[in-house]
Amino acid sequence: MNRRIALRHLALISGGLALIPSCDFSSDDILAAYENLKVTASQKQLLGDISNIIIPAGELKGALELEVPDFILVMVNDCMTSDNQALFSTGLAAFPEFVKTISGKKYDKLSTKEKEDLIQTGIELKSEDTPEGEKDKAISYFLNTTKRLTMQGYMASEYIQTEIIPYSLIPGPYNGATLISETQKPRIDG
Amino acid sequence: MANLNIRNKQERTYQAIVVGSGASGGWAAKEFADLGVKTLLLERGRNVEHIKDYPTTNMLPYEFKHRGKLPQKVLDENPIVSKCYAFGEDSEHFFAKDAEQPYIQEKPFDWIKGYQVGGKSLLWARQVQRWSDYDFEGPARDGFAVDWPIRYKDIAPWYSHVEKFAGVSGNLDGLDTLPDGEFLPGYDLNIVEKHFAQKLKETYGGDRHMISARCAHIHEPRPEFTAQGRASCQNRNLCQRGCPFGGYFSSNSSTIPWALKSGNVTLRPDSVVHSVIYDEEKGKATGVRVIDAHTKEVEEFYADVIFINAAAINSNAILMNSTSARFPNGLGNDSGVLGKYFAFHNYRAQVNGSYEGFMEYTTSGGRPTSGYIPRFRNVKKQETDFLRGYAGGFSAYRGGGYVADARVGMDLKNSMLNKTPPDGPWRVGSHMMGETIPKESNYIALDKDKLDPYGLPTLKFNVSYDDNDEKMILDYQEQVSEMFEKAGFTDIRVNDDHRTPGLDIHEMGGVRMGKDPKTSMLNGNHQLHAVPNVYVTDGASMTSTSTQNPTLTYMAFAARAAHHAVSQSKKV
Repeated sequence: MNRRIALRHLALISGGLALIPSCDFSSDDILAAYENLKVTASQKQLLGDISNIIIPAGELKGALELEVPDFILVMVNDCMTSDNQALFSTGLAAFPEFVKTISGKKYDKLSTKEKEDLIQTGIELKSEDTPEGEKDKAISYFLNTTKRLTMQGYMASEYIQTEIIPYSLIPGPYNGATLISETQKPRIDG
Repeated sequence: MANLNIRNKQERTYQAIVVGSGASGGWAAKEFADLGVKTLLLERGRNVEHIKDYPTTNMLPYEFKHRGKLPQKVLDENPIVSKCYAFGEDSEHFFAKDAEQPYIQEKPFDWIKGYQVGGKSLLWARQVQRWSDYDFEGPARDGFAVDWPIRYKDIAPWYSHVEKFAGVSGNLDGLDTLPDGEFLPGYDLNIVEKHFAQKLKETYGGDRHMISARCAHIHEPRPEFTAQGRASCQNRNLCQRGCPFGGYFSSNSSTIPWALKSGNVTLRPDSVVHSVIYDEEKGKATGVRVIDAHTKEVEEFYADVIFINAAAINSNAILMNSTSARFPNGLGNDSGVLGKYFAFHNYRAQVNGSYEGFMEYTTSGGRPTSGYIPRFRNVKKQETDFLRGYAGGFSAYRGGGYVADARVGMDLKNSMLNKTPPDGPWRVGSHMMGETIPKESNYIALDKDKLDPYGLPTLKFNVSYDDNDEKMILDYQEQVSEMFEKAGFTDIRVNDDHRTPGLDIHEMGGVRMGKDPKTSMLNGNHQLHAVPNVYVTDGASMTSTSTQNPTLTYMAFAARAAHHAVSQSKKV
């Protein structure tokens, strides 16, 4: 039995109707995010590519296929202070130049491996207290935020939580002395 | 005050009126229902029906637009309620927003409110520890506040009465500081928590303990819960959404549907109580004035007995706003103590650490409670340079999870999909729950020049910590650190989060009980000394605070007082 149907049955047994709504993004939310954050078509494409470098497709789907970039933009638009939104947008806008400075090439001319290296470098970037440092700070903030939200959007997606690692609302009774050796699960190859 | 008497007065007359449908009001209504008393249950907020009105209860993480996080706009508009640990994307609809009821902070106070049928009983932490005579005798022994007019023996049968119906899980620990009750099987402590409990016993000669905290969750099915339509707790730990199983006690899952089923109780949501009506000729209260939350029209309802269970702060406010020639300073306020001797629980301090033992173990599954350290300071005699003491929460947990700093790409993806087994030590943590001393200078009052959105006077708060609280924080940090050391914990760190009073959500007092009408508002039966057909049985009635989570005591008070009111009416 499908798990959500099973849950609904449980709720019914317990004495009432439980509504299990679905809460996907409406296209309005996404459009509002693009508009408020003034994201251009090329920036949208760039963000999609960066998220798919952070979590690429392999045996399992990647971030882009799960529309994680839309999730990132809605989170930035709805759940961040305006200061942090500005920092994110500055970092996104400054990213192409950062790519050129570091690698001497345009982003879309880089190999996947080179893109990974570059993003990893940006994530670890330490900014100094100079005008150049301000730019580095924005790059680092943009990439760290994108990484964090990519991970969240990917793991807390319907695909992962129903097909790959089914999420249970009912975790089962407590065992306060569980042997770690008995908790090992079969490896999932991403 | 238009449209006062559109409907026939008889239609608006009941035997009892209960103001407030949270944990204590729900209990008053349930007892009146069982005793055959025609009752009007008033609630200022909207109706919330069990299961039907829990919109998020079965939502999966990916179904929340922001995966549980609240939009910045909500946080910006609600700086006060946003501080509450339980206020999230899954529960925000059960909290009153800041704009609903502005108030004046002469001193900082975070007032967390649940304005709907069920009140905060939908949101509470569900910890239910009994008081003992060490608590009730505190003010008399230590010379603060006034003596409680009741003792443990007066309330013990009502604790039992409430526990049996609400469902309380716990172990029979045999501690005189925390009396045992009518318990369903207790929840397990984990291997490190048991180790800590054992070490405390060995080290402190039976004076300090750590037990599984008693909680209002059904841990074993019983016919009396099935009769309420409730099933066992499923360990979901999503209680703040409302529980579709009725696994934890709330007015919504338990007392209110029970009361309504009897046919004796009428529930009226969206009814903001303005004041209690006092009849000078009869020398008693005759009803309440109610403002319709939507139309703002005022209507009166009448009854022989009035129960004020509006939650501590609003119960104070209603009495303060109930003025008459006989009571110019608030109903029953001959003593002048109304709103004063207001107190709370001190939750400011924490102690954390690590434990390197039991490295081959972790925990699995869920449980709705954790560990509890009953008060051990100044219990049998005064032994420190501060009055009273503190209880502590305690829990141990094992970390683990994916490596967030893995390199982007397939490394990161695989590390997220395959949780690494825990390799670090166990983490242990405790937080304090300190007794604060009620003082005349800690008070709430009305500002009648500033009106709230309902045209009611605005509350102002003058409540703060004192030197006794500061000393107690240091002692808690010192003692718990020592207890951690004795248990072999390492990397011990103490913290004081300097939280504002109120965030404990254990506000108490202002309408305190006492033996003497000159120094208290209520007698030992929770009746106003001067207006005996008005009862207050929620947090407002507390003479002192002790350290236990207080809701169980309010529920027992409400049940006891309802039976008293009925016994009085039979005498007439």
